Amino acid sequence: MQIIFGGAFNGKRQYVKENLTVGDYCWCEGTLPDTSAESAVIAGLEKWVEQQLLLKKSEVQIMQQINEICLRSTSSNYIWILTDMNRGIVPMDALERQMRDVIGRIYQFLFKEAKGVIRIWYGIPQTIKGADQDENLYENRG
Amino acid sequence: MAKGKLIFISGGVRSGKSSYAEMLVRNSACGRKVYLASGRANDSEMAERIERHREDRKLDGWHTIEQPIRFEEALLNIGEGDAVLWDCVTTWLANELYNGWEQNDMCADQPGCMEAKWTHLQRTLTELNDKAELLVVVSNEVLDDFIRDELYMKWLGTIHLWLVQHSDHAFEMENGLAFKRK
Repeated sequence: MQIIFGGAFNGKRQYVKENLTVGDYCWCEGTLPDTSAESAVIAGLEKWVEQQLLLKKSEVQIMQQINEICLRSTSSNYIWILTDMNRGIVPMDALERQMRDVIGRIYQFLFKEAKGVIRIWYGIPQTIKGADQDENLYENRG
Repeated sequence: MAKGKLIFISGGVRSGKSSYAEMLVRNSACGRKVYLASGRANDSEMAERIERHREDRKLDGWHTIEQPIRFEEALLNIGEGDAVLWDCVTTWLANELYNGWEQNDMCADQPGCMEAKWTHLQRTLTELNDKAELLVVVSNEVLDDFIRDELYMKWLGTIHLWLVQHSDHAFEMENGLAFKRK
């Protein structure tokens, strides 16, 4: 399981299409892959989360579903494209505030589970997890 | 004509991106230091601030060009060998995308309007890059948030991707530290 992370319109999907998806991938935009999908790209997760919240699902139920996906993923067959949405001003809208909280906690969970995390900044990749410890900046004291 | 150097710098508010950009221009040992400003005053505080900055830069030997819209006109005032600092993409985009709102005739609402301006901007930047010895482009990080204005954010992403792709170096600023990403 891998994560491609970054702000909106930074070229994350293009990066995945050009570099990671070799072979058959189910592209899930705003949905979760069904159990038959062996390889999948999960993008637009925030849209799925919004739907769940509108359906009055609890955060526990939402996390449960995310966890199930993680349990059936292996090292590289599931790619999550996650959009960084949590560096703005606190939203006026209650649903948006709730989304921000739920998304933030899902991302933390997924980052923990993922073997590798790559951050994309306007098309340029940076490995922030899974880079042979090079991501441990506190150790870079030379 | 040889192509000059293109450097892209982006960061949050008060991240030190302007100071860093000014430092790059100052240390470039090129011809004139040219400050190409896209900002425009909407109130007296803003007007004062702009005036004060222009005076400060003048004392430091900068030549200021104010070009809120019709960016291509700035080309006429750029000489070969100049070192140019363009501040900034986000302001330019807001000026152009919402141009005409007073007349209820915004560019954002007209099909093809922003596409044409974007094609034009690419051409102007390429010419500017050919003419000037150094072109430093400053912009802001505003895409790590909920989609507030999809059109604006989409265009900003498109422009940033293009600039990073065409740049010799690209920096992300964080509290005065420049992270070299390219």
